[in-house]
Amino acid sequence: MEWMARVAVQLLSGISIGVILFLVASGLSLIFGVSRVINFAHGALYMVGAYLAYSVMSQAPGSGPYFWLALLLAPLGVALLGLVVEVAFLRRIYRAEPLYQLVMTIAIAFVIGDMVRTVWGAENRSVTRPDFLTGAVSILGQPFPVYNLLVLGLAPVVLVGLWWVFYRTRWGMLVRAATWDRDMVGALGVNTSHLYTTVFLFGAWLGGLGGALVAPLQGLAPGMDTSVLLLAFVAVVIGGLGSFFGTLLAAVLLGVAQGLAVLNPLLRRFDIVIPFALMALVLIARPQGLFGQKE
Amino acid sequence: MHQRFRFPPAWCLLAMVAALAVLVVACRPPARPPPTPAPAPVGAPPPPTRPTPAPPIRIGEINSYSGLATVYTFPYREGLRMALEEINEKGGVLGRKIEFIFRDDKLRADEAVKAAQELVFQEKVDLLVGCISSSVGLALSEFAKANKVFYFATHCQTSRLTWDLGHEYVARTTNNVNQYVRALAKRVLEDYPQCKRWLSINQDYEYGRAVHEEFFEYMKKHRPETTVVAEYWPRLGETDHTAYITAMLAQEGKADCILTSLWGGQSVTFIKQANPYALFKKFQLVHASVGNLDELGPLGKEAPVGAVTPPFIPTYLPEVLQADPKLAEWVKRYKDRTGGEEPTTGSSFGYATVYIIAETLKRTNGSTKPDDIHRVLREGFSVQMPWGEVVMRGCDQQALPPIWTAVVDVRPDGTPYVRDIKAVHGKDVVRSCDEVMELRAKAKR
Repeated sequence: MEWMARVAVQLLSGISIGVILFLVASGLSLIFGVSRVINFAHGALYMVGAYLAYSVMSQAPGSGPYFWLALLLAPLGVALLGLVVEVAFLRRIYRAEPLYQLVMTIAIAFVIGDMVRTVWGAENRSVTRPDFLTGAVSILGQPFPVYNLLVLGLAPVVLVGLWWVFYRTRWGMLVRAATWDRDMVGALGVNTSHLYTTVFLFGAWLGGLGGALVAPLQGLAPGMDTSVLLLAFVAVVIGGLGSFFGTLLAAVLLGVAQGLAVLNPLLRRFDIVIPFALMALVLIARPQGLFGQKE
Repeated sequence: MHQRFRFPPAWCLLAMVAALAVLVVACRPPARPPPTPAPAPVGAPPPPTRPTPAPPIRIGEINSYSGLATVYTFPYREGLRMALEEINEKGGVLGRKIEFIFRDDKLRADEAVKAAQELVFQEKVDLLVGCISSSVGLALSEFAKANKVFYFATHCQTSRLTWDLGHEYVARTTNNVNQYVRALAKRVLEDYPQCKRWLSINQDYEYGRAVHEEFFEYMKKHRPETTVVAEYWPRLGETDHTAYITAMLAQEGKADCILTSLWGGQSVTFIKQANPYALFKKFQLVHASVGNLDELGPLGKEAPVGAVTPPFIPTYLPEVLQADPKLAEWVKRYKDRTGGEEPTTGSSFGYATVYIIAETLKRTNGSTKPDDIHRVLREGFSVQMPWGEVVMRGCDQQALPPIWTAVVDVRPDGTPYVRDIKAVHGKDVVRSCDEVMELRAKAKR
């Protein structure tokens, strides 16, 4: 019985990690869907989100209002950075070879990474959780951190928000149309240049939100971008590029797989392989991803 | 939701993910120890020793001066430069100034060897110094042996560098894993009689494994009832430890104490994630690094109160400085240079390194021939540092500095510090020369 409770709590913990991963991965997927650019700088945007949140929250460590302010401001700051990146660099290469886009976004990732190092330093940074989110609650007799509970609670809000944006606004309709056929959208008189910019901005905002949420959960250091980017890619590939639902499912799946792997010593030895093994399996069985559609 | 997104060919994505994986591996946090095999000595020709008056002694310094390791290497370089200026102001070694030429190894052994070649064959340096990654240290040690240059290793702490894989042309000016792990174990033996059944959580690589083995070898020898109930091996750079933490909670009542050697950002992450579960109220935490400022600072009021750990002497405590005016004077000069930064273990390593080299060269009468240096080091000597005596032991050319153990606490205003400081000396806990020779013999077999 206690064993089952542990599995259940581990599941919840995995899901909460998956939710943050989903935020990052969905931004990645969105940007690719519309602009066809695989944004290697996405991890860097996530990192900036985390550091910005750090800067705001450390104004008053443990303060609730500053925590919410950080959740509001950090993603906005990242969106602004995204705007600069898109207008200054990316929009010049939308029609270029994918290889050049790759080089460009990787270069941007390095530049942002070094900027973070210059501004915040190479040493470890960390913020305390707001006072009302420290501690744990008992779930099935097992302790579960309140902060992870908050992340779990935010998930449906974000999902409904995304659904509303994409299915109930004109902008969302254009985004969906552009991912279907961007040339046709342009031919119909839509200003695609604006559309690409706003999509990148929104994608960056999602990445920034992921970063802001993760800041109180772990220590911050330059380099935190690459590991999350890798997992985000895996989530996007498993879920099917462009499918929000698929990305969500895959991100949660990855979180849960890692959470559960720890319970079993044998699986624990291989937990670094699990995401990639899952991805390989999905690619073999369904190359377009679980919820992706064939060309 | 459904969608209409085109999908790039699967192979293309796979290639990109593979490229990313390479990126991630390349950008990993600094791997502190990790070694490779290789045995020792060579014959020694006679020494024509005579100091030349004018030209400076040129020393090539190879270390990680970019990326994550700079947290440790910048204070190290600061300490090093401070000692260098002091010595040169007094006229240098036997009238010769010392000159350091710095190179960045980017935490990679191949880069380090490239830098060593450039320094030795083009810059014509007399000695090689430096390392933070143990793989760099071992690579430079091999280079030194093959090219007959003397190499003073510094920050990289794998014990094998001067022990299993030690040879005539390598020495280390700092402590090794063995010394501070044993100092920590000694403190546990003295003050924590309840620690008999253990949980152990360490990163799954050379350094983590070394700490685990050295610690429990020593504990079991002196407290035979010591048992390790469960071991956990998170990856180097793991960001989510929740699963390990809940697994450890399930051992409540079956274990008493936790040993960990997670370090830097990963240690901070682990402790932050463990706090909501009150993990360290249920078990006594024994931590290899948390008492240092690079971890205490970021943790703030989340620092694990009661954890026992071996930090550098806490120079930020007025009572420590009051008790030792020499140390206080040194700390003041250090902080004047750095604009108020407290010295760290790294600063002390850099500072002591220069003094050890200067003392060595005084004893060789200025010669930098590797065989002369070996002859001098083999006899052993000690240098007096502001924080205590550093012994250079002859048999393994390994430094034995003072080590401190202390208990973490947090002030009411939320600033963390360490209390109940006890000083141990490396020479009192380190493996004996006989044991080291046994290790070397075993490695050669």
